[in-house]
Amino acid sequence: MNFTIEKEAFLKGLGRIQGIVEKRNTIPVLANVLLEGSDGELHITATDLEVGMRSSYPANIAKSGKITVSAKKLYEIIKELPDREVAFAAKDNCWIEVKCGKAHFNIVGLAADEFPSFPQSSRDGGISLSSALCKEIIEKTFFAMSLDESKYNLNGIFLRAFDSSGETRLRLVATDGHRLSLIDKPIAGNVPDEVKRGLILPRKGVLELKRLAEEGDGDLTLSFQDNNAVVRKGQTVVVMRLVDGEFPDYERVIPKANDQQALIAVDPFLHALRRMLILSSEKSRGVKMLIKPGVLEVSSSNPELGDAREELDLDYEGPEMTIGFNARYILDILQVQDETRVRMIFKDQLSPGLLRPEKSDDFLAVVMPMRL
Amino acid sequence: MHVDMNAFFASVEQQANPALRGRPIAVIGTGRTVVTTASYEARAFGVRTGMNTWQARQACPHITFVVGDNRKYAHTSARIVAMMRDYTPLVEVFSIDEAFLDVTGSLNLFGGAESIAYLLKARIRHEFGLTCSVGIAPNKLLAKLASEMQKPDGLTIIAPERVPEVLEGLPVRELCGIGGKVERQLADLGIQTCGQLGRYPVAALKRRFGVVGEKLSRMGRGQDEAPVIPPEKEDPVKSIGHSMTLEQDVTGRDTLARYLLQLAEMVGRRARRHAVSGRTVHLTVRYADFVTVGRQQTRVSPTSRSQEIYRDAVTLLDSLDLTRPVRLVGVSVSGLVHQASQLPLFDGERKATLLAAAMDEANDRFGEFAVTFASITETGEKGARVISPSWRPDGVRKVDVR
Repeated sequence: MNFTIEKEAFLKGLGRIQGIVEKRNTIPVLANVLLEGSDGELHITATDLEVGMRSSYPANIAKSGKITVSAKKLYEIIKELPDREVAFAAKDNCWIEVKCGKAHFNIVGLAADEFPSFPQSSRDGGISLSSALCKEIIEKTFFAMSLDESKYNLNGIFLRAFDSSGETRLRLVATDGHRLSLIDKPIAGNVPDEVKRGLILPRKGVLELKRLAEEGDGDLTLSFQDNNAVVRKGQTVVVMRLVDGEFPDYERVIPKANDQQALIAVDPFLHALRRMLILSSEKSRGVKMLIKPGVLEVSSSNPELGDAREELDLDYEGPEMTIGFNARYILDILQVQDETRVRMIFKDQLSPGLLRPEKSDDFLAVVMPMRL
Repeated sequence: MHVDMNAFFASVEQQANPALRGRPIAVIGTGRTVVTTASYEARAFGVRTGMNTWQARQACPHITFVVGDNRKYAHTSARIVAMMRDYTPLVEVFSIDEAFLDVTGSLNLFGGAESIAYLLKARIRHEFGLTCSVGIAPNKLLAKLASEMQKPDGLTIIAPERVPEVLEGLPVRELCGIGGKVERQLADLGIQTCGQLGRYPVAALKRRFGVVGEKLSRMGRGQDEAPVIPPEKEDPVKSIGHSMTLEQDVTGRDTLARYLLQLAEMVGRRARRHAVSGRTVHLTVRYADFVTVGRQQTRVSPTSRSQEIYRDAVTLLDSLDLTRPVRLVGVSVSGLVHQASQLPLFDGERKATLLAAAMDEANDRFGEFAVTFASITETGEKGARVISPSWRPDGVRKVDVR
């Protein structure tokens, strides 16, 4: 295989897949990137068997073929090349020649047939989402995913489409067993059966999807094949293996009988919590919220450093109450709010608290308190 | 200053029961009858800690055995330590019957170290009827040596000028920190006394013993930089564990599992009390022939739940050969991380957390194992029945987390 390509395009493609490449190197070829040149295009593919990505870039293909080479090393080489055009040649013995200006590299690669096959899915069907929408729904839920790999069914985002008052809505839910985040948005188009039944996108895939949605405008299409989700945007395809497990019954943990409601401005609350967090430590991440008519007093204390306290205006008329929360959990929710105020709907200091934007009904978050 | 209570357990028993005073007695444990302490009168007959009752009776036919009451000893010890704190805040509780005091700062207040020693001894005798041996020296190593020199009811001072003379002919084994193995290794080098140790070329010691070589050399010369560490300055612990020597050797896997459940509950309770969870669970098994094996398993997520610790311990148990009788089992957790009091969202987990908290509260109030798992209610007296090494007069040691 022989081709020339613009350094910037090559670098961009290689940069995109660095996060996918398997760092733990269980199978050597997974640390490599697959390069395929054909019909005026260079296809760059990487996978860790759970999440894979394939992007295509315009290139001058003198001789088509394919080869794999260390993703990290190649990226480092291309990054340091002097000129704008890179010449790439893969020889029959799997050695690779990279030339650019006066720089000349000779590195060893691995045959392409060692590389796992990338699902060739059909280009039609599936749900279409704008990048903006996709970005929004992921941003508002992904932080609640569990980081604990043993809880595999919480280690991703639950996706389900359902019909409500004549329109189709797409719902995303994430939880880590301590807090939950849920968003509902109307979508158009044919909904694949898998999404009607409900599925779980793996954590790593969700993060790649988020990156994909954040890169420029354009639409994403989400389709499915053999237990994999296939996301297409422009010249890039991301494939991720769906999590094989049951998502917990999240409806049950959304409190329905919380009888106290308060309204608070997002910005001051957010900044106050950040200030309280300064004093917290791993041992005492909890923030105490003293809820009184008209006033919310947040405070934190750290036995080794000291304590902090701040008062905030609160639109509230009910009984006085003290509830403890992990400040981080509340901050995560406040940071992704678009509206200026949020509703806090709670019951008592041992019951889950519910947060919703003041006006819109398409988002909610549930946070379990901490015992103080 | 080093204070060493004389024949502590035996003396406490003799004070509690006047009929035992002046008589040879030995304090024993429940179940397996091994002597933990013998009174001085019994020691005169050759009765020693570690002997079993048969041997003790052989040595001293009219000996009286008293079953030990650890709570009493712990309580008395705590009160004695409180007394020591009247003279200096720098009190390091070395064991249940020994403590170090750094009185450097209190000398002017009480008229010197010797005065403090006399005052303390008098008060302990007056309040508890117990005697102790006190050693006064420039550092911990020598103070402990000094207290050994006169037992019972001693007060020995090693002034700095006297140090070389005291150490010259003293066997190396006498120093705290030099045990049988090191003694033999030093003997191989031709070193038998502290004087010889102090004079031996440091470089050669370092070659033989590594880093410790330098420390040994200094010990030989009576040098010790170690400070007296009061409880608040102590290094936090890195693991939490409990073990128990079984009353009789056991071979049944299910019986052993019941003991593991007990131990797991004790470990879980301590972990929860310190609001920490452990990532690694360890199992220790000692067979009747004293061969000891340990197995461990690192979890994906840390835990402080008794049931989870138990389950891991049983998995480890099942990986061992249980055809040989077992005399001791131990469970511990390490890799400790802080687990704040975050409540879980999902019902099942929430119930389990609140249940454990409720059980802990009940046990705090009504005594260990007041509320416990049904399967272990029949295993007789619960708890390890020994005084834990992590016991401190003011409560258990702080826990280390990363």
